[in-house]
Amino acid sequence: MRRMAIVQGENAIVVEPDVVITTLLGSCVAACLYDPVAKVGGMNHFLLGEPSADHRVSAGDMQRYGIHAMELLINGMMKKGAMRTRLRAHIYGGANIVSGLGSIGSSNAAFAHRFMQTEGIEVAHSDVGGTSARKIEFLPQEGRSRCTKVADRVPDRPPVPVALPPVGGDLELF
Amino acid sequence: MPAAAAIKVMVVDDQTSMRAMIRRALQDLGFKDVRDKSGASEALSAIKTDRVHLVISDFNMPEMDGLQFLEAVRNDPVIGKTVFIMLTGSADKEIVQKAAALGVNNYVVKPFSPAALKEKIERVFGELT
Repeated sequence: MRRMAIVQGENAIVVEPDVVITTLLGSCVAACLYDPVAKVGGMNHFLLGEPSADHRVSAGDMQRYGIHAMELLINGMMKKGAMRTRLRAHIYGGANIVSGLGSIGSSNAAFAHRFMQTEGIEVAHSDVGGTSARKIEFLPQEGRSRCTKVADRVPDRPPVPVALPPVGGDLELF
Repeated sequence: MPAAAAIKVMVVDDQTSMRAMIRRALQDLGFKDVRDKSGASEALSAIKTDRVHLVISDFNMPEMDGLQFLEAVRNDPVIGKTVFIMLTGSADKEIVQKAAALGVNNYVVKPFSPAALKEKIERVFGELT
């Protein structure tokens, strides 16, 4: 069994058997998506914002980064044969464990659930919130996942500030 | 009345959340007539029947992608001059160049802020508010 570990800001998409995608979550959220017919699965790991005193991320910013993170995963899966209408989801993470980060974990988890509802993607399993970190193992081909609560404190790196998007990208054609 | 209120817009993206977010951003900018479709072929039929001034379309869509959609619009004798703004992922430089060759009016890199979208629209239409 090959293991692929992902960290915050990454995603992995798998079509081969005998691969497990793993990640460690604190306040971040991981969405595990799979298409049971095409046997394509993938996982992302995202944090929607870092509400520090001098770089507060607005609700609007959080939403658009979350939507973007989900779109990258879904588009990547569709390129490998998945169909949006067949996708099912497992959602993990969103713990409130970093002192000073308030309820950022809850906001992340609420976003993920709202997103799946809006897109009509069934959430087959979810384990979010609380104060423990989580270790996630996902078998994309089978659509099976396992969540283990981690006793230690936050496994995440300190939250990475959300970078502001480029206004126009690198290409100056217009 | 702000200029935006007179501009009819068609938003095309296969992701419902993205369409909803763009609609909200456009409404905040003063746009009143915003329609949306989840696919390019549907959008193409809709704007042929009921013309719009501005199309904002994702590139990455199943079946007809944003470039094919742009090409179909530009090749149409009636709606060929409709303003077309493409939404792309950050790594899609080649796509932006292809879109420019096909006559796209501008492009916006995801994830974008409402201010970035406003700026790109204003480069084509002038001040919106």
